[in-house]
Amino acid sequence: MNSIGEAELRELIVALSGRVAAARDLLNRLDAALGDGDHGTSVSVAFAVAVEDIRTLDEPSLSAIWLTTAKALMNRMGGASGAIFGTFFLRGVTLLHDRDRLGKAEMQALLQAGLDGVKARGKAKLGDKTMVDALEPAVVAFAEADDYDSAWRSAAAAARAGTEATKGLVARQGRARFLGQRAVGHIDPGAMTAALMFEAIDDYWRANCR
Amino acid sequence: MAVREHKLINNPENLIDEMLEGFCAAYADILLCGDNRLVMRAEPKVAGKVGLLMGSGSGHEPAMLGWVGEGLFDVVVAGEVFAAPGPENMLAGVRAADRGGGVLICVSHHAGDLLNAELTLEFCEIEGIDDVDMVLLYDDISSAPKGREAERRGTAGLFSVWKMLGAFCEGDADLAAAKALAEKVRDNTRSLAVSLSSCASPMTGEAMFEMGADEMEIGMGLHGELGMGRQKALGADATIDLLLPPLLEDLPYRAGDEVIVLLNSSGSLTLMELFILYRRAAARLSEAGVSVYRSWIGQYATTLETAGFALALCRVDEQLKALWDAPANGAYMKQL
Repeated sequence: MNSIGEAELRELIVALSGRVAAARDLLNRLDAALGDGDHGTSVSVAFAVAVEDIRTLDEPSLSAIWLTTAKALMNRMGGASGAIFGTFFLRGVTLLHDRDRLGKAEMQALLQAGLDGVKARGKAKLGDKTMVDALEPAVVAFAEADDYDSAWRSAAAAARAGTEATKGLVARQGRARFLGQRAVGHIDPGAMTAALMFEAIDDYWRANCR
Repeated sequence: MAVREHKLINNPENLIDEMLEGFCAAYADILLCGDNRLVMRAEPKVAGKVGLLMGSGSGHEPAMLGWVGEGLFDVVVAGEVFAAPGPENMLAGVRAADRGGGVLICVSHHAGDLLNAELTLEFCEIEGIDDVDMVLLYDDISSAPKGREAERRGTAGLFSVWKMLGAFCEGDADLAAAKALAEKVRDNTRSLAVSLSSCASPMTGEAMFEMGADEMEIGMGLHGELGMGRQKALGADATIDLLLPPLLEDLPYRAGDEVIVLLNSSGSLTLMELFILYRRAAARLSEAGVSVYRSWIGQYATTLETAGFALALCRVDEQLKALWDAPANGAYMKQL
């Protein structure tokens, strides 16, 4: 398959939601070391709300699916992570207006807009021990690939590698920055969530769209 | 040290809504609870005045719910545990707080509070609501060094801002003047906190962080994040002797200054301990030539059941003294 329509985009959000829910306890544990220990619970509740709200949309256009996801994350997660994860989706909404299908180039623009939005909102750069450490390499890897099949594959691998690398970092953004050296040795839960999102999409893609 | 993991709650998913239902039932004479987790005055302030709004993560009670009422906030929006509310509920808060004189969103500086306030302002712009602004507030000297005050966190010491700004906005001030007053109080306020125990997340039942029985941590923010200095636990006098000098130096507070002292329990410290701490603080302030205009001792902003306290000073002039002494009628701040 070389383009994504409403049905696939909706299924992608369902896949993300399922993956994050399955990893809820893992994400809570990662967050307990660096934050207040409920990231897995809050992100899985928010994605479940997104899936439900998308299911009941009157006109499930691409932009409505993306906006509904943004709103669920911002309003049901709250906090810094809700604002930042929500911004990832919110920034892409205008790129989806009046579109029926997304080719790889359009998807690349959507991911890039999300990444730019996240960096601007959270003022985080690569190496600050945040979700940017998963997201930025994933978006770069996606852009360098030739087609959807290889793009999702290498984006998922890059996100996972970026996430593992957060283990060695001192946090420079978010609550964990108050930990100083004590943050070293722990994976950032926001980066892990971003990696899980790309892995869920890659798995969905290989099972349904190749 | 073990934390109390059993909480007297029901389904954790209903935690915030059930807390608000109980709170609003208890204070129905002065408060009204609305959709979107809004807590509002039962009787809105006179039209034309600046509306004061704050979004706040839960788990800090009586902050911020207890400071809605005459002479205090117009509307407070409750978030999830330690997570600021998202822009949808905040936007509903802006509409509810709008009395025609503009709305000031107060932000206690934490990433989530700031980012959601920024998002709220973006949504206000989309909705054509332009008479709204935000003010960034902070007081914790342990969270960034002197000279980088704007990076500091907002903690219990901001109570001085809530009280004085609330009184100020009962008058004829406009939005710009209200913001300037909030910044003036902020710039005269400093705080430093100590914690002796962790607390358990009501969502997961797990300790928020680990803490040894003989340890104390200097410089803990409102959310139980680990601060920068952990050391062997000291007695009351020695603890005050550790906190007060850096606080005095930071502003600096000088001989001849008048201050309001706030000694805030972060959850489970006893009043007995707070009074013993205050005894030493008052003596040390007196030695430094700093006179205490008013002192407030008790629970203002908590971090669930954390054992600990914050010591906050606010330097006051005649204007701020009058604002502090002005009437207030919130559920947890009553002053005739």
